[in-house]
Amino acid sequence: MKLLTCPMNGSRPLSEFIFGGEYRDAPDQKTCSDSEWAAYVHNRSGAPGDKKEWWYHSPSGTWFIAERNTLSDKVSRTYLLSANTNSTQEQAK
Amino acid sequence: MQALTPNNAVKLDAKISPAAPAQSGASVQWAVVNDMQIATAFASAEVEQARKKVLGVTDVSCFPRYGFKGPQAAQWAADHELAIPSSPNSWTLSDQKSLVLRLGGSEFVLEDQMGGVACEKLSSISARVAGVYKVPRADAAFILSGSAVLNLFAELCSLDLRPSALLANDVIMTQVAGISAIVIRQTHNGEPVYRIWCDGTYGAYMWETLIEIAVELGGGAVGLASYQH
Amino acid sequence: MSLRTTKQNGEWLDRTKKINFTFEGEAFTAFEGDTISSALWAAGQKVLGRSFKYHRARGVLSLANHDVNILVTDGIDTNMRADVVLVKDGMVLNAVNTIGGVKKDKNSYIDSISPLLPVGFYYKAFHTPRRFFPFWEKVIRKAAGLGIVNFDYPRILKRKLHTHCDVLVIGAGPTGLTAACVAAEAGLEVTIVDENQQAGGSLGYDRSGNVAMASQLTDLLAKVAGYSNITMITGAYAAGYYPDHLIPIVAANGITKVRAKTVIVASGAFEQPPVFRYNDLPGVMLGSAAQRLIYRYGVKPFNNGVVVTANDYGYRVALDLLAAGTKVVAVVDLRAEASPMAAEVTKRGVKVYPGHCVYEALASSDKSGVRGAIICAYDEQKNVAITAKKITLECDGIAMSAGWAPAGALLYQAGTAMQFDYAVQQFVPSRIPDGIFAAGKVNGIFELEQRINDAKRAANEALRYLGLSAPEVVTERHVGASPSHAYPMVPHDKGKNFVDFDEDIQIKDFVNAAKEGFDNIELMKRFTTVGMGPSQGKHSNMNAIRILAKIRNLPVEKIGTTTSRPFFHPTPIGHLGGRGFHSHRLTSLHQWHAEHGAVFTDIGAWKRAAYYPTVGQTKEDAIQTEAMAVRQTAGIIDGSSFGKIEVHGPDAAEFLERFFTGVYATQKVGSCRYVMLLDESGVIVDDGIASRLADDLFYLSVGTSNAAAVYREMQRSQQMWQLDLGLVNVTGAFGAINIAGPAAREILATLTDLDLSYESFPISSVRESIVAGVEARLIRVAFVSDVGYELHIPMVQVPQVWQALLDAGKKHGIRPFGSDTQRLLRLEMGHAMPGVDTDGLTNPFEIGAEWALKMSKSYFIGQRSLQILAKKPLRKRLVAFALAENFKGEMPMDCNLVLEGREILGRVTSIGYSKFIDRCIGLAFVTPAKTAIGAQFQIRTDNGSSVTATVVKTPFLKN
Repeated sequence: MKLLTCPMNGSRPLSEFIFGGEYRDAPDQKTCSDSEWAAYVHNRSGAPGDKKEWWYHSPSGTWFIAERNTLSDKVSRTYLLSANTNSTQEQAK
Repeated sequence: MQALTPNNAVKLDAKISPAAPAQSGASVQWAVVNDMQIATAFASAEVEQARKKVLGVTDVSCFPRYGFKGPQAAQWAADHELAIPSSPNSWTLSDQKSLVLRLGGSEFVLEDQMGGVACEKLSSISARVAGVYKVPRADAAFILSGSAVLNLFAELCSLDLRPSALLANDVIMTQVAGISAIVIRQTHNGEPVYRIWCDGTYGAYMWETLIEIAVELGGGAVGLASYQH
Repeated sequence: MSLRTTKQNGEWLDRTKKINFTFEGEAFTAFEGDTISSALWAAGQKVLGRSFKYHRARGVLSLANHDVNILVTDGIDTNMRADVVLVKDGMVLNAVNTIGGVKKDKNSYIDSISPLLPVGFYYKAFHTPRRFFPFWEKVIRKAAGLGIVNFDYPRILKRKLHTHCDVLVIGAGPTGLTAACVAAEAGLEVTIVDENQQAGGSLGYDRSGNVAMASQLTDLLAKVAGYSNITMITGAYAAGYYPDHLIPIVAANGITKVRAKTVIVASGAFEQPPVFRYNDLPGVMLGSAAQRLIYRYGVKPFNNGVVVTANDYGYRVALDLLAAGTKVVAVVDLRAEASPMAAEVTKRGVKVYPGHCVYEALASSDKSGVRGAIICAYDEQKNVAITAKKITLECDGIAMSAGWAPAGALLYQAGTAMQFDYAVQQFVPSRIPDGIFAAGKVNGIFELEQRINDAKRAANEALRYLGLSAPEVVTERHVGASPSHAYPMVPHDKGKNFVDFDEDIQIKDFVNAAKEGFDNIELMKRFTTVGMGPSQGKHSNMNAIRILAKIRNLPVEKIGTTTSRPFFHPTPIGHLGGRGFHSHRLTSLHQWHAEHGAVFTDIGAWKRAAYYPTVGQTKEDAIQTEAMAVRQTAGIIDGSSFGKIEVHGPDAAEFLERFFTGVYATQKVGSCRYVMLLDESGVIVDDGIASRLADDLFYLSVGTSNAAAVYREMQRSQQMWQLDLGLVNVTGAFGAINIAGPAAREILATLTDLDLSYESFPISSVRESIVAGVEARLIRVAFVSDVGYELHIPMVQVPQVWQALLDAGKKHGIRPFGSDTQRLLRLEMGHAMPGVDTDGLTNPFEIGAEWALKMSKSYFIGQRSLQILAKKPLRKRLVAFALAENFKGEMPMDCNLVLEGREILGRVTSIGYSKFIDRCIGLAFVTPAKTAIGAQFQIRTDNGSSVTATVVKTPFLKN
């Protein structure tokens, strides 16, 4: 089973986590067109590559972001969304 | 300690350990400790001592607990003269008799051991403070002792819980028997033990699971009385 | 005649312990440490099993856990592999896959009609005419499969454990043992696993007659034993590779999942049989099998043998046979060039035939063994036998050495790229993922000294991977004659030259498959079934690849290999099942419910009381009785499983404004408001009640099944919004009781000083007070009845309040009701339930919940999507309906369709009979044209009949 590094709790087996979907920036809902909004809500890029994803460490209730390459399944880093870049925690490997 | 009538009917006028539904049996001795009905003995003292050495499981859900969290929680604890662990996911003893667990960075669980009064003290503070939120606790809590305790964890938890990996003051939030739980190592009356906490509503399931494996490994249920002196 | 030798140095037997057992009704003796096969072979029993397809007699082939034609049953377990399963005193064994026993298997006639059963025949033969297929199906089903499942199989718990180590070494041969020592010397925690009962690998049996080899192994094992940081696991196989170095190790008593920091694969190689006519007769065996028989079990493979070889290894086997007292008639070497080792066997009086092949083995008169071998010259360029001058050698056994295939399953599973190395005629790793290292034969290194050197190289690389300093060791690649022959296949006009012993596949089957167009290795595998038997191609895939390469005239590496997947070896279902953990949550009233006859239902993780039937009462009666109590007097339900969440802090109202659809900023302290959660696309996720306990404290209660997910989404939103607040999930800390019905207020009033008058405690308000001596949050809800109070109290104190309510309500005839009754009651009230009356596409407009939406707010989750949806015409809408009075037809059920002709208008989402109203009532999605009060539509029931439903107003109670 794959290991994932929770920024708060360290390396844990994937069974302790819940996948929260891709992290995406929403368009400004006040100014975007209906079709822009619909595209944001319904369309996902399935192309493999580097993705930012939401993950939830269930036993501690920690949401965080994992940067993962969906082709190689390698996680390059994980960090809390709130933390700015200088306090992010690099995944061990 | 007040002994109750030794029958297993549900007592609706006392708080009952959340693990109690799984602890039926004619030989179980009950008592009310800290206002909660708890199993104090499951077998003779000799049998329980033997179990304890191999793999004893004790229900300590009756220990008083107090939870709080929030950005100002650490400061609030300090204001009330509570010793808190300096780093996230670790624990310390406050005033010798109260266990203070730091869950992540800003949540704390206080648990009075035998004779501790810190929870009572904090519970009496009614003023609400900005940035500190009370977290009501209803944990099922257990002590695991004995030489085979790591064999039990090998089946219930995928993490390495050996002393080389689970350091003396580490707190880990993980899954035990498939449910969320907190695990630490502790010394209780000079004996090295492991502690597990889980949501009280899972208490009966956790007890059943721990006991099933403990019995297979040559241990079993140990009443609270064996930790009360 | 006994083939048992004198005691061998290093043998696995305890000759002081005799064992008695029976095989097919005949009594045998063995020594402790014997496998079933070794004991039978020692006693001269040659036919140990029958092949799967043609029921041909088979004996020892590998003695390495791959003799899949030798499957036995002891009546409890079936398909036990006799070549490796230790024989135990008192065992009563029978071969599987025979009718009438191995010696006189009645199905052996199939062998004689084998020309009628070419590969793939069943794909074609039995489909026309179609009316005969049921007949053929029975025949095929009987013939297919091996062994008989014992349905009285005892429940034997197989534990699944987790362990951890720094270095996991797979394979305890000289390579693995050496690597383990290097890692252990560096202070690392090392685990070695080997499927054999004892460590040592080929060092234990590949001796070329040299006794000194035994002491080399003894020394190495002593060195390993000296490290307390090495854990040795034998008799267990590494069954697969899972990400981040998780390796399940399967032993007889269960699976251990080892999480390693680094893995060294020293799994060796499987010896591959050369292919010639009748290479499957009992007595024809791999050279390594002959060596295992001799050195592990002290059994002579045969008395008078021929060695057929295509590498230098065969000469080592010949020397081992000689040492065991077997007369070696000849060494027949496929290769034209004389081996440097030929002189050594010639010196011992063994005739060597270079450039020769075994053209066919000759069966004894009863086909139970070998009586000779016909050999002739072999053209290595064309890969054909030159049959002009055939020589018949008399012998009672043939040892075969033709080459090896790497035991690389775990490397493949980990994502290793392999390339074909012509120096060793073998696939070797070319690019291995981080943290995994390969050494020894699996890495294409065969000379013993080089293997030990390769082990040191791999171990030092592993140390460096773990951040330790370690010297660079370089391994020389293989030089000299290849350990594997490029094409050890001898065509024969009459066939029966077996490539795959599991499925009796011959060379011609591959030729036919290619002719049919199945000439890609993956297609060929499926068509011929090569590698699909229990040994999963461990002795056949490499030869199959070579044959296909030759047919297609391509180099071997262009053919590629089939995909390797876990598990590496067949693993019993019981091992995979393990203990089985079924976690469940109980409310503090669970024992009370059980003692009062509750029938429980699983809702999410919870066990909830569904209803409480009295003796002899049906489910339906119990539910109607409980519902009537609520309508006429009062009922109470344990609602402790509801989701309960506190939102604390100055921004609590702002959070609710963004998270839910309604208005909360202006909500008065002491009041309750409906909350509805949408997702970004405007679909309904869940609903509930928000009770404002203070300016900066909201108490939310939501449904049972979605509670964890709702709390999780709240946490995620808070991560994004970073508001000044704290979320506290109190689902487990608080229990809840709902008391409902006309008498509810009067009963509750006896237990609290709170003013319960409708004026001071109106509907949709919340109060904090003492009830039955317990601090409680009281919420006036109208979910199941116009008069209802939810009491939220600490979980451990729920029983106290519950009992007080029952006592206080006794004179009113109060009774408990369960979650099934609650469903009916809320239906009578006309409330739609998310997840029951909505699905993953339902938006609020479709259930008529416009009233719950504050579209003019600046933001809430799903708002933008609702703005778009609001502009579109509705496609469906939820309506309340009733069936005709005194309806007696078939009762429609949830999910029955609403039809108009052949057109689907919608579906029923909830339906039930209400005794109180005395009508069948329900909710259904219909097209907008059918939503007017009084409109009628047709529901098709499960039996196909059509039932007329009429749209009515809610609540049904007031209809």
